[in-house]
Parts: sequence; C-alpha cells; structure tokens
Amino acid sequence: MNRYAAKGLLWIILAIPGILMAWGLSQGDVLAMDLLHPSGEMSIRLMIFAMLAGPLSEFFGVGRFFRARLAIRRNLGVAAFGYAILHLAFYFLDMHDVAAVWDELSIAGIWTGWLALIPMIPPASISFDNAMRKLGRKWKLIQRLVYAALIVSLVHWLLLDWDWWPAFIHLAPLMIAWSLRWLGPRRKASLSRSL
Amino acid sequence: MDKKKYRLALTAIAGAMFLTAAPASADGNVQCKSGPAKNWKPIAKMKKKVWLEGWELLKLQVEGDCYEVYARNESGQSIEAFFHPVTLEKLVVYRRGSEIYRSSNFPK
Repeated sequence: MNRYAAKGLLWIILAIPGILMAWGLSQGDVLAMDLLHPSGEMSIRLMIFAMLAGPLSEFFGVGRFFRARLAIRRNLGVAAFGYAILHLAFYFLDMHDVAAVWDELSIAGIWTGWLALIPMIPPASISFDNAMRKLGRKWKLIQRLVYAALIVSLVHWLLLDWDWWPAFIHLAPLMIAWSLRWLGPRRKASLSRSL
Repeated sequence: MDKKKYRLALTAIAGAMFLTAAPASADGNVQCKSGPAKNWKPIAKMKKKVWLEGWELLKLQVEGDCYEVYARNESGQSIEAFFHPVTLEKLVVYRRGSEIYRSSNFPK
C-alpha cells in the first residue's frame, strides 16, 4: 500500500466514530447532549494514544511497530483536535443559542472545557510538513502544549462527572509509559531528545 | 529547572491530580434509597412532575434507584435532576456538574 493510500485509510478509520455520531444525530436516534461525552472522550483517547508513542518507543526502542506509531502520531493529534471541535459543535447544538452558551461560561466544568481547547490550537495548526521544517526545534516545543491540553481536559471531565475512575483509567497507560521513560536506561537519553 | 526537578514537579502535578480527583460527592453515584421498583410511581407521573416544575424535558431515565431527568429549566439552563421514585420529591439538581439545589431531606 502506498503512503497516500495508507494515510487515506488511517483518516477514514479515525473519522468513523465521528461519522456514526453525526449520523445518529441526523436520524434522531440520539440527542446532541448524548454525544457530548463520546466526542470528548474520543478526543482525550486520541490525545493519549498520540502521547504514548514517544515514551514507549524510548523504552522499548524504535522498532518497526513504534516507527509506524511515531509516523502516525501527528495525525492522531490532529484527529484529537477534530473531535474536540466536534464536541464543541455538539455543545452548541445542545445549547441552541449563543446567549445560553455565554450564560454557562462561569461554571467551572464549562470554562475548563474552553480553556482545554486553547493549548490544542497551536499544535494542531502547525501539524504539516512545511511548518515542521520552518519551525525546527521550536515545533517540538509547541507540540508539548498537548500536555496542558490533556491535564485541563481531564479536569473539565472530572468537574462535569465527579467520577474520577474513567479519567484515571484513561490516564493510567500514560502514567505507566511516563514511569517507563523515567526508569529507562540512561544510555537512551540522547535518543529520547530526538523523539 | 534541571531534569530531576522537572520530573519531581511532574510527579507532584500527577499526584495532586489524583488527590483532587477524589470528589466529595459524585453525581453519578446519587442514591435515593427508594426500595423495590414495584413501589415506584410510574414514569408518566414523573413526566407530569417535570411539567409542573415548568421544565422542558429532554430525557428521563432510571439511574440506579433514582429517576434522573435531563431538562431545561424556566431560565433555559441545562440541568440534570434526581427525583425520589416513590415520593417524586426533587432531591438534587446539577447544572453542568455544579450542584444548584439540594433538598433539606437529602443531606450529602
């Protein structure tokens, strides 16, 4: 399979949950409010999935599997942003009008959601080859904003659901991967800087 | 900041998240202590109660041993409310995760 076909297939797979959500809504099977949770969760899952590639490949070494994971990492990040926007769109559909959205802005569970969106914008907007080439080392630094986005997203989730197990379960793989990175042999330190 | 301190800071943030993430009350775990379902008032009565509140009903479901209502109140705010299925008393109301009403008969 050539590179473009593989990338096209990846994006079809990434888009399927979103298409199913939009289809369910258009058919009246679900309400916009029912889709807030799945779309937000999907965004967080993709963010975590993208963030796992770095530390895991550092620990296990960059084999064929992790080379592929690293190669699609940028796509996963953009898809996470896409689902965050979809989440926002469902929120607007649920609220009906802008005044109602504005009225809710002071609630902690809501403004944390808006706040989580802000650090996602710069990494997503520079996720193309030209920007990578132009920004050089700065590109990697900007991508690290995803850490802030993830933490604020999880706080947003907790403040709405007051149930910390789902958020913890999502964070657990990342915690394990980070622990492995810290426990990992020092000789890989030079490699880690490049990933 | 050197690497060791940076790692320590990250661990502290993660630790703090774990601690603050344990909520005092969880709206997903509201318990109405309503007893067997055969004694519950029918859903239709619950719907009427929502109408009497002046709310626009979006969704009504059984959550654990409570009736859970998603609605828009008279001010147009999106709310999530829990009612006792036997007495149909409004026990607690949340707005986007923030508690905005709690019955005096339903202490935390």
